[in-house]
Amino acid sequence: MDIGTIVAGILTLAILTFLYRDNPIYKMAESILIGVAIGYILVITWTNSLMALLFKPLFGAGEGWLLVPLLLGLMMFGRLFKKTSLLSRIPIGVLIGSGAGVAIPAMLEARTLRQLSATVSPVIADGSLDISMLVILVGVLSTLIYFYFSREQVGWWGKTAKLGTYFLMIFFGTTFGYTVMSRMSTFIGRMEFLLTDFLRIIN
Amino acid sequence: MRRRIPQLICGLFGLVVFLCYFSSHPTARSIYLTVTLDYWQIIFAFTLIVGAISFVRVNLRGIERGEDRSYRIASLVGVITMPLLALIWGLKGGSPFMWVFENIQVPMQSTVFALLAFFVASASYRGFRARSMQAAILLGAALLMLIARSTIGDMLWARIPEAAEWVRTTPAMSARRAILIGIGLGSLTTSVRVLIGIERTWLGGEK
Amino acid sequence: MRLESRHWVFLGLFLVILLSMLLQIDLGVKVSQDTQRMHDYIENLPPGSVLMLSFDHEASSLPEIRPLALAVLRHAFANGHKLIGVALLAEGTGIGYRLMEQVGKEYGKVYGEDYAFLGFKPQYIAAMLSMGESIRQTFPEDYLGRPYDDLPMLAGITNYEQVDGVISIADGSLTTHWVEYAGNQYGVRVSAAVAAAMVTTYDPYLASGQMHAMIGGLRGAAEYEQLIHRGGSGLRGMLAQTAAHVYVILMIIAGNVVYFLNRKKGRKR
Repeated sequence: MDIGTIVAGILTLAILTFLYRDNPIYKMAESILIGVAIGYILVITWTNSLMALLFKPLFGAGEGWLLVPLLLGLMMFGRLFKKTSLLSRIPIGVLIGSGAGVAIPAMLEARTLRQLSATVSPVIADGSLDISMLVILVGVLSTLIYFYFSREQVGWWGKTAKLGTYFLMIFFGTTFGYTVMSRMSTFIGRMEFLLTDFLRIIN
Repeated sequence: MRRRIPQLICGLFGLVVFLCYFSSHPTARSIYLTVTLDYWQIIFAFTLIVGAISFVRVNLRGIERGEDRSYRIASLVGVITMPLLALIWGLKGGSPFMWVFENIQVPMQSTVFALLAFFVASASYRGFRARSMQAAILLGAALLMLIARSTIGDMLWARIPEAAEWVRTTPAMSARRAILIGIGLGSLTTSVRVLIGIERTWLGGEK
Repeated sequence: MRLESRHWVFLGLFLVILLSMLLQIDLGVKVSQDTQRMHDYIENLPPGSVLMLSFDHEASSLPEIRPLALAVLRHAFANGHKLIGVALLAEGTGIGYRLMEQVGKEYGKVYGEDYAFLGFKPQYIAAMLSMGESIRQTFPEDYLGRPYDDLPMLAGITNYEQVDGVISIADGSLTTHWVEYAGNQYGVRVSAAVAAAMVTTYDPYLASGQMHAMIGGLRGAAEYEQLIHRGGSGLRGMLAQTAAHVYVILMIIAGNVVYFLNRKKGRKR
């Protein structure tokens, strides 16, 4: 067995000790994980992003205009000190502004209009009722009514909103079922490693 | 001025990329690429580095004060070791950097996540009760999915997976779609408010 | 050592999964429409089609994501497609690079000619949008620092127009952005291989046609493995998955029985 598998196996067991209760072994493993994960992100961001997009073209190819994003990036360091923290508002402004600028068409078209248009498909097609389309239409409208808080939910409006909660519960239940599946798969994956590679109990 | 200048920059960048969306002119495309790649991407990369520095600083202060000293030292060793390994041996498959990633980070991180399987099982026992009509519907939908997406669904009756598929893609999907439309309209409004300067929470509390 | 009720629930789950894994029985699975659609999509692309695989996940979900990614990679390589790997979450970078390297070797593929791994960009929406303008400028170098122009398979690939489809391998919401930004703005065909917990999140995009195909979770991986006749962790894990589901169902039933009995007792008093 190679040393990597031994280390991975021991650390896996160290994390699993949390199932009994929080303990120093788990805490130590968790601390190592946090440190390594931050170190990893630093390296990947530096090599794959800053070197490739900024430092090599700026200092290697002499693309001087990149000094502007460099300066904006450096302003972010202002956040580390109280006196200079206001400087970081400028690069944050660039991030927030460009984020909002690209979000407007995406939210309007891809998220809202395309979804609405998919909802208002014909309920009666070729002379017969499409029950699924009808359920979707009723589900979307009643759920939207439930989330409309500017009008008191009483009378027929309230009943429709209540119907919306039933649709929401079906969605949450379905999601719960799939989430259980996801979490179990993750643990099964770790068990597979422990039983095959680490303990070599199964092939 | 402390608020006005960042707000102006925010509005300017937002307006420029928004307008570029509607044009296929090479200049517009070039501006769009510059903003998304050279400004957005680079500044964002710096924010990650600021976060890492802040983490180191907080931990150094903690060590000075003697709080959880051994844990903090372990974290700092991790932060320092990874760049050193990458600097000396590179990032290739089989390098010490990748070794640490594959044999220390990945197993631990996925095991932390795997712990959730146990808490989900415990929550199913302790909190998943049919107290009302809504809770009963939620429970019914969950049970149907659990049966259908395991092999017992296939074994019991062929219609079970079909029924679960319909529930997922029809009533459940319709509720999710309504949530999506709601989020879409909310994000749209917030974006417009940011660009015209009504939404200023991102500037923080100070004047 | 004092054990509480939750410890017994934990122990029960552990034993159920352990025993079902020790049995080592491969259960066949019925292939769902979603998985079949994804399979047919990759199967029917002409050999040599360019697919972009985006590793949009963290290390935490690797046990679930890995079988999905391996199945899709094996199918794509077996069909002779050219693969471009990118990562829009940092941890997906090391994982994606190693998975492509591993499956590339299995099928005798040559790096730079049959596949390339371009690495990571931290701001995912910006990366998706800038690749729509220029992939070369977004990734001037690959993961290991080789210039884009030195990789022969990338010659002639400038943006999404030369990419036949994007497959987002994700454990979170990044696929949403692929659909809403890259798909909507640049018309690239987006598909997904996602953690089971995210399946219901993406259903509206699948129903509206904004997403082309989707497979999800270990069950999705098992179905895909069955379709490509190549067993893996998905099929191997199905008995344990089924046993875990039955265990959770029993826990829900037991919890409700206790609840209703207590309520009845309370009323009598």
